[in-house]
Amino acid sequence: VSGAALTPFYSPARALDSLERLQGGLPWGFFLRAIHAYSAYGFLAAAVGHLIQVLAARTDRRLSGGMWWGSVLLLLFLVAALLGGFALRADAAAAEALPVWRRILEAVPLAGAALSRLVLGVRTGDLGAVALHHSGTFTLLLWLLTSAHGERVLPDRRSTVIAALLSAAVAGAAPLPLGPPPNGTSETAPGVLLGPWYLLGLQGALMDLPVAAAWLGPLALVLLLGLLRHAERRMRHSLLAALGLWVAVYLGFTARVLLAAGR
Amino acid sequence: MFKTPALVAAVLAGLLGLLVAWGHEAGRARSVGKGGEALAGSRVERCLTCHVKAAEDPGGAHAKAALGCASCHLGNPLAFEKERAHAGLEREPGALATVERTCAREGCHPREAAHVSSSLMARASGLVAVDRWVFGEIPSPDSAETIGQVLNAKNPSPGQVHLRKLCGGCHLGTRRGNRDDAILGNGSGCAACHVAPRGARDPARAHPPISSRVADDRCFGCHSRSGRISLSFEGLAEIEPEQAAVGAPCAVVTALPDGRLACRHEPDVHRAAGMSCSDCHLHTDLMGDGAVRAHKEEQVEIVCESCHGPARNETTWARIEDPITRDLLRQRDEIRLPQERVLLGRRGTPLRNLRLAASGWSLVTKEDSRALTVKPTPSDANHRMKGHERLSCSACHAAAAATCASCHTRFDPKRRQWDFGSGAETPGAWIEASEGFGFAPPALGVRDDGTIVPAVPGMILDIARVGAPSAAHRLFAPTEPHATGKKARTCESCHRSASALGLGTGVLDLDGDEPAFMPRQPAAGNPSLAGDAWTSLFPVSPGKGTRVGFRSLDAREQRRALAVGACLPCHAKASDPIWPDFRLSLARFSERSRCPFAGTSPSWIRSIQSRD
Repeated sequence: VSGAALTPFYSPARALDSLERLQGGLPWGFFLRAIHAYSAYGFLAAAVGHLIQVLAARTDRRLSGGMWWGSVLLLLFLVAALLGGFALRADAAAAEALPVWRRILEAVPLAGAALSRLVLGVRTGDLGAVALHHSGTFTLLLWLLTSAHGERVLPDRRSTVIAALLSAAVAGAAPLPLGPPPNGTSETAPGVLLGPWYLLGLQGALMDLPVAAAWLGPLALVLLLGLLRHAERRMRHSLLAALGLWVAVYLGFTARVLLAAGR
Repeated sequence: MFKTPALVAAVLAGLLGLLVAWGHEAGRARSVGKGGEALAGSRVERCLTCHVKAAEDPGGAHAKAALGCASCHLGNPLAFEKERAHAGLEREPGALATVERTCAREGCHPREAAHVSSSLMARASGLVAVDRWVFGEIPSPDSAETIGQVLNAKNPSPGQVHLRKLCGGCHLGTRRGNRDDAILGNGSGCAACHVAPRGARDPARAHPPISSRVADDRCFGCHSRSGRISLSFEGLAEIEPEQAAVGAPCAVVTALPDGRLACRHEPDVHRAAGMSCSDCHLHTDLMGDGAVRAHKEEQVEIVCESCHGPARNETTWARIEDPITRDLLRQRDEIRLPQERVLLGRRGTPLRNLRLAASGWSLVTKEDSRALTVKPTPSDANHRMKGHERLSCSACHAAAAATCASCHTRFDPKRRQWDFGSGAETPGAWIEASEGFGFAPPALGVRDDGTIVPAVPGMILDIARVGAPSAAHRLFAPTEPHATGKKARTCESCHRSASALGLGTGVLDLDGDEPAFMPRQPAAGNPSLAGDAWTSLFPVSPGKGTRVGFRSLDAREQRRALAVGACLPCHAKASDPIWPDFRLSLARFSERSRCPFAGTSPSWIRSIQSRD
């Protein structure tokens, strides 16, 4: 929702210029942008935290099968929405990431090419489709799925206020920097440009594994989480173990890419 | 609503965040430029919100109103804050390391930049190959190794260290601040030639102008060293301060911009006529044509004959495709009709500033558009003389060449010296010393195709390495001295001159039974060889040069040249009847010559016909 404040200043046709204006040209623009980004990170952290809480308390059975799968998909859409926000920065890292994502989507059998065109648009570098899905499709889907999951259309006032205040606190204390522009010198752009922090494991995997790993991995996660709701005892334990292994491997790949970037 | 501790904590944290953000906002507001204009052409160029002074505008085709700053200087033109705008700034646009994103970017000069990168001014491969060959590190003076590779070598060889310490500063790839002291310029790569020195024309101007016209002072920085052709062209000959102190070998001594001293002589005939370097030199000579060549004489396309004939390469503009020349003409609003004739360089590049008028070809100077008549090579006795077929124009018309036969280079491992490779001082220093520079008619050498050209001492040196026998080198280099005189050097200056024959300084005696040479300063360990000699008189094998096949005159050629020299005191004129067929004259001379000298002439002259 905080993105609504940024929308008037953003043009996908002049994405980097819009970000530079937000970041440096508009009074408090950097603050609004940081609140938006930290709110989104908070949403992701809260969703993952809530998932762990549910799995630990074994309360997943309280949801119907359809609702559970919808909630699992909510995670996927949340990451997709965050990813859109990352791409809309249009800085060097974002510009570098777009063709990678296009390749990943195109690697999906049968629907890959269509999926790629749908999500990323036809032309590489045109952020129109990404902007549309970021502020429209994924936001709407997230809202619908969250509403269904929480059985209420709007969040409660107290939670909203606390979330906004915490986002403001972090945004003020650590404003989000904007990366170097695309086609910068080696001085400004490091050797390995890092993708969004929550997808570093995926980036690390792509350094060693074929491109299909980038969609098979998330698909495996969705299936593991989705099937948990339906599994009994030993099967559930096996699925939880596989889930743990998935997370460990993901963290390992995250460490791999951070080491490669020298961080 | 504010009753719970979590809410209170969140409010406090939010307020704290706002307070810190306030500070960030104040900093942001301070660092944002205050100028209003932020467009270059139709592009956003926020550099212009700070860089508003007219003095920061290079003007012309590169005016900031059209190109902005970032097109050349990189950085981030969309940024509002100075620090972010200047991240990745290229202070030296045109530097070869980043040229692909500056001058060579699409829509600007990618073709020219690609040519420059493969040109000898960037690669210096001839210089590298000769140096390393002399050091015994490679088998031939031809090699593809570039000065860039030498400067980046991780464990440089002695020859590479020599190059890195003494020669790397003139290479187009080394950056400002890591250039030779003599080079007064604003940059490297494209900028080394196309950007005027700061304040050279207008001291108030902060940004130097950028132009496709390359003024002579741009050439002077590098080419006033080594072969010193820029000096010779201007009529200057470098001298050591010690030479000036004991009485300079000239009437007028002048100080060069970098403090060196020079004697003033007659300038090159082209300079005297008001021409500049680029009036002769084509873009392919200077920037290259994309082909990799080993030595400068291979890259330079213009030759005397291109303009002066007698055999000129000529076509019509309808057949000219050279896109760089076409661009240059377009820039200058010059029109060439398809049927108009045009002279060409050796590889077919048009000489766009030569035009055919009713009175013949004329050259329009690129600097000030003055028309000069191009005189064709006369078809007189001097130019038709039998036996002179192999002479290049400069063999006779190069009045003098800069020489330094007494230059010494030694390595001192205890001292430190700038290394153009690492851009810092490193242990070990190559120290150059000289007992004085010379400026005199050059020696003559023979190229592998038989052409006789001027030659100057290239490397006369002993290289001694610890634990290895020393290697002696006595190598001369082919040169175009750029000291062309309207009048050719005299017959005596070649045919009766020890130095022209490569013998060095000394007395040549042609009156004995055999020619004899007495060196003024004999070489160490060889009393018959001059210290500054290339070769000896009538050598078993000729002296070697810095090119494959380049050599001094051999014994047979020396003997023939001296035979002419012996006759010159009486037969001084080129139109003298003995010269049209000198061999026949010699044959007659030995039988029933009317020459009063015949009866007492040295036996070597009488025997020359039978020997030859």
